[in-house]
Amino acid sequence: MALYILFEAASGYSLFEAHGLDEIGQNTQAVRSSIEDLNRFGKVVKLVAFSPFASAIDALNQINSISEGLMTDELRNFLELNLPKVKVGKKPKFSLGVAEPKLGSHIFEVTKIPCQHNDFIVELLRGIRLHFDRFIKDLKPGDLEKAQLGLGHSYSRAKVKFNVNRVDNMVI
Amino acid sequence: GKGGMKGGSKVIIEPHRHEGIFIAKGKEDALVTKNLVPGESVYNEKRISVQNEDGTKVEYRVWNPFRSKLAAAVLGGLDNIHIKPGAKVLYLGAASGTSVSHVSDIVGPTGVVYAVEFSHRSGRDLVNMAKKRTNVIPIIEDARHPHKYRMLVGMVDVIFSDVAQPDQARILALNASHFLKTGGHFVISIKANCIDSVAKPEAVFAGEINKMKQENLKPHEQVTLEPFERDHACVVGGYRISKKQKTVE
Repeated sequence: MALYILFEAASGYSLFEAHGLDEIGQNTQAVRSSIEDLNRFGKVVKLVAFSPFASAIDALNQINSISEGLMTDELRNFLELNLPKVKVGKKPKFSLGVAEPKLGSHIFEVTKIPCQHNDFIVELLRGIRLHFDRFIKDLKPGDLEKAQLGLGHSYSRAKVKFNVNRVDNMVI
Repeated sequence: GKGGMKGGSKVIIEPHRHEGIFIAKGKEDALVTKNLVPGESVYNEKRISVQNEDGTKVEYRVWNPFRSKLAAAVLGGLDNIHIKPGAKVLYLGAASGTSVSHVSDIVGPTGVVYAVEFSHRSGRDLVNMAKKRTNVIPIIEDARHPHKYRMLVGMVDVIFSDVAQPDQARILALNASHFLKTGGHFVISIKANCIDSVAKPEAVFAGEINKMKQENLKPHEQVTLEPFERDHACVVGGYRISKKQKTVE
């Protein structure tokens, strides 16, 4: 049973495949010890596909949906293009690990791609987050931070602007 | 002796034992950070310009411990704040960004500060401050739901938390599980009456420390923020410290 992992970054969506899971037996502790070292982690997890966001506006649309646990059309295309096909009436031989259960259930509802979220996936995502810029060959050092900076500003500006009259609950 | 340069008396800047922090020695000593954006104050704080021997100027900003719990904790004598030049910091409870701006000075151009604040009112000031400081990534979102900002944050060396919420230990642990490197550190400011307004502060701090221990957050040291804040403590510790490292300590 193949396990894929969806990782959402400020610069785009990426899909990883986890290998050799029989050996580590989905053991959270075993993954924990292997994620520090890219040589070891790179054997466990391999990049399948990376799709950069088309523009700053596109990136903002994606994060606005992702933060609410919703799949966009772009994400759907990305998943259906890069994951094995799901056939009607047959049980798929793979599953997709996601960072958040709500997004997983939305993906499953629409595409029938089986999703999972558990401690084991959380550990794998930590490893991907740690080594992300070295998995993606096109990313130069500092590129990811630039994307985070731009997206952080547009995401936050929109929040502040659209909720001018929102009542803040100040905790004293 | 002779008067100093025009516009102010002579001040000598000395490095603090925490890398990236300095002490201005003048009439009275003051904690200062090296201004990342010379010529600009963030919240009308005092700036001190010092001329090097080669004629270049360096500007520092005075860091007021009555306005910043991190500054109060530094003066309280923390052994290590782990926030230093080049560090990546996740800052929970960034408010208007006054303290964040000093953390931005400390980590410098090679560091990053992910500044999370939920209140839109303070968030506006935070976003404006971050416009001029490109090492600050503003995130207007609820620190209780780190998955909402997972696209904006990388793995960090340190989490600083000042959220003043009853469930702040849980908020810290949740963010650590997403973003804090194994062997990374946390610095948390605890306001006793935010957690329990009846119990003794010491009992509240001990209770919070127990909660952290259960979440792989291993406290190393604790200081009170007296005389700058009443019934506050600042706790520093490590995340997922392995057994091997434990025996070394």
